[in-house]
Amino acid sequence: MCGLAGIARSTDGPISAGSLRQMAAVLRHRGPDGEGTVVGDRVGLAHTRLSVLDAANGAQPMDIEDGRLSIVYNGEIFNFLELREELTAKGHAFTTRTDTEVVLRGWAEWGEALLPRLNGQFAFAVADRRTGTVVLARDRFGILPLFYAERDGTLYFASEMKALFASGAVEAAVDPRGLDQVFTFWGARAPRTPFAGVHALEPGTWARWRDGRLTLRRWYQIDLPGAGEEPRDAEATLGLLLRSAVDHRLIADVTVGAYLSGGLDSSLICALAGRSSPDPLHTYSVTFDDPRFDESGEQLEVVANTGSVHAVQRITDADIGRVFPDVIWHAETPLLRTAPAPLFLLSRLVRERGTKVVLSGEGADELFGGYDLFKDLAVRLFCHRQPGSHSRPRLFDRLYLQDAPGARGSGFWRGYFLAAGSPDDPLYSHLPRFRQAEWLRGFYAPDFAAQLAADRVDPLEELRAELPAEFARWTPLARASYLEMVTLLAPYLLAAQGDRMAMAHGVELRVPYLDHRVAEFTSRLPETSKLRGLRDKRLLRRSAAWVLPQKMARRPKRPYRAPGVAPFLGRGAPAWVAEALDPGSLRRTGIFDPCAVAALVARCRAGAVPGNRESQTLVAILSSQLWYHAFVEGAGRPQLQGGLVPLTSQRKR
Amino acid sequence: MNDQARIRYADVVEQTRAWVRENFLYMRPEWPLDEETPLLRSGVVDSVGVIELVGYLERTFGCTIPEREITEENLGTLGAIGRLVATGEARVPAQGVR
Repeated sequence: MCGLAGIARSTDGPISAGSLRQMAAVLRHRGPDGEGTVVGDRVGLAHTRLSVLDAANGAQPMDIEDGRLSIVYNGEIFNFLELREELTAKGHAFTTRTDTEVVLRGWAEWGEALLPRLNGQFAFAVADRRTGTVVLARDRFGILPLFYAERDGTLYFASEMKALFASGAVEAAVDPRGLDQVFTFWGARAPRTPFAGVHALEPGTWARWRDGRLTLRRWYQIDLPGAGEEPRDAEATLGLLLRSAVDHRLIADVTVGAYLSGGLDSSLICALAGRSSPDPLHTYSVTFDDPRFDESGEQLEVVANTGSVHAVQRITDADIGRVFPDVIWHAETPLLRTAPAPLFLLSRLVRERGTKVVLSGEGADELFGGYDLFKDLAVRLFCHRQPGSHSRPRLFDRLYLQDAPGARGSGFWRGYFLAAGSPDDPLYSHLPRFRQAEWLRGFYAPDFAAQLAADRVDPLEELRAELPAEFARWTPLARASYLEMVTLLAPYLLAAQGDRMAMAHGVELRVPYLDHRVAEFTSRLPETSKLRGLRDKRLLRRSAAWVLPQKMARRPKRPYRAPGVAPFLGRGAPAWVAEALDPGSLRRTGIFDPCAVAALVARCRAGAVPGNRESQTLVAILSSQLWYHAFVEGAGRPQLQGGLVPLTSQRKR
Repeated sequence: MNDQARIRYADVVEQTRAWVRENFLYMRPEWPLDEETPLLRSGVVDSVGVIELVGYLERTFGCTIPEREITEENLGTLGAIGRLVATGEARVPAQGVR
């Protein structure tokens, strides 16, 4: 994958080559293998390249038709060979073996009708340098990023927001509503970002910039209709689809490895990739000293089963604290979890070992009902059907005893979960999670809270208003699955925890479960193929049993988590923490109230941290401070070895 | 509610209010917390907090709160908690109030 950036004016006039070069310079981590810019009268494009296919001929920006059409492209089209044949038959004369050229010629041939033909992960910009028209497009699920901002009749776009700021024309300013979304959903939902006037192109949409106007169009919306019965051949069909999805994602001129958590999803990917790779697969895992987070036992079982060449990144509390400023620089958003930090370190290991591409198991939990949240929903609905029952709520014990060891019996859970809104609420499945933000809001600085109050926009109301028309006819599990995709998968898991952590070290993530053929197949399955009682991923487990030992195919899910308080307040905490928590620094940032923060920190230091929400709030506060310092104050990229590097010498402040 | 229960109700509400403020609303001492402020729906008390709340009530007021009584109706507001404990719906063991 790569980094792309561009500037498009609404009128004739020069494009600053210097601005383009600065935009490309801050995206160099995404594409360390090459860099290029092209400057026209109205449009300028820049690209940093991670060469995965046809390294000799794939330089970008790439032109056709005597330079009329140019593309900068970040992604992988896995069916590009088929599309290339189709285009060749229509008379296109290819000059490279790249999928970039397929996308460019495909756009020239079919226009927007190209998009549904693509199987892959992508974000790209095609510029018609004669008319000054620019088209931006993004893949179905938001695997790859694309941001844009309009300033003074000019469009700026890039793979990461830091490149927009590096142009010198787009300022990094706080968007309180974007931050409020981050603290509610763990990530701002596109098009919103934590920065004012900076937008993310929504997954499954494309945009046309012409004569100073940007027009947005949706080209993909997943439908989750479900079905009455599971097809007879569902197990085999899913097996074939997954094999094809993995095989397509092994296409590269460089080594393709795989992330291995030890759970079902990554184990199955590793097993399938291991069978298809001519050489031993390279697998990569994080391990923790703390047994609450560590899955190394499970990982080693999979390694033994697949015969992979395995490498491990051991994670300590000190590691997380040390790299967290860099994690925030790459994530470009405050976080509620530290879980991206281990993946930041893992991608560094991957790169050091010479692997450029890794397969990853994202998407399976959303598609196959793997999260506890889905089981929670099933139990709550089960309880609602017989409100007087004392035995039904006891099912919650089986779900949450680990997180709430003092919980007992039916009354506790009935009191808590059944109070979480009405099943008629479209957000019913997620209300207990979203409600946690209410408590975090108690830490907002008064002025920040007042700004939000003046806006009178509730992030949950916004979400309700934006649900697709089909939502109402979906089953409760399908609704929950959709909400998980748009509130967590796209804004957080694929972004801050996915692409941004991998690309920090120039590593490309490929996600076979989000092959749209797999996603659309599962969307047509009945709920019972995914969740029955508290048994999750039923069809996936049956299908996995063809290639994995029963023990692995039946392995219960362990959520991926990383420590939240100890890295920052424990022994050996990094020096930046004290600076971030300083009342003067908090006042300057203006997001959180210094007195409230001090009260929380005192409790955390005293070990009086009963639940996740204190830990999440602490991470939110610290990451917001780092985020504000790096971007809004313009301190720029933190350096692990010390010193701060200015973001750009031409920043507008 | 008789006079004795009313006095006990006021005592339970006041003590529990102070405890909730200290343990859940320490970041906002001025947050309004009257007898009918929802504790669960507003997110003041989360799932782990309910466990703590029940433990606190049992320790402080010497009662046992049976499982069937752990509901939002009984624990959802300070007033509800006061009524639950003061009217003896939560069973008071022989040794009485601490």
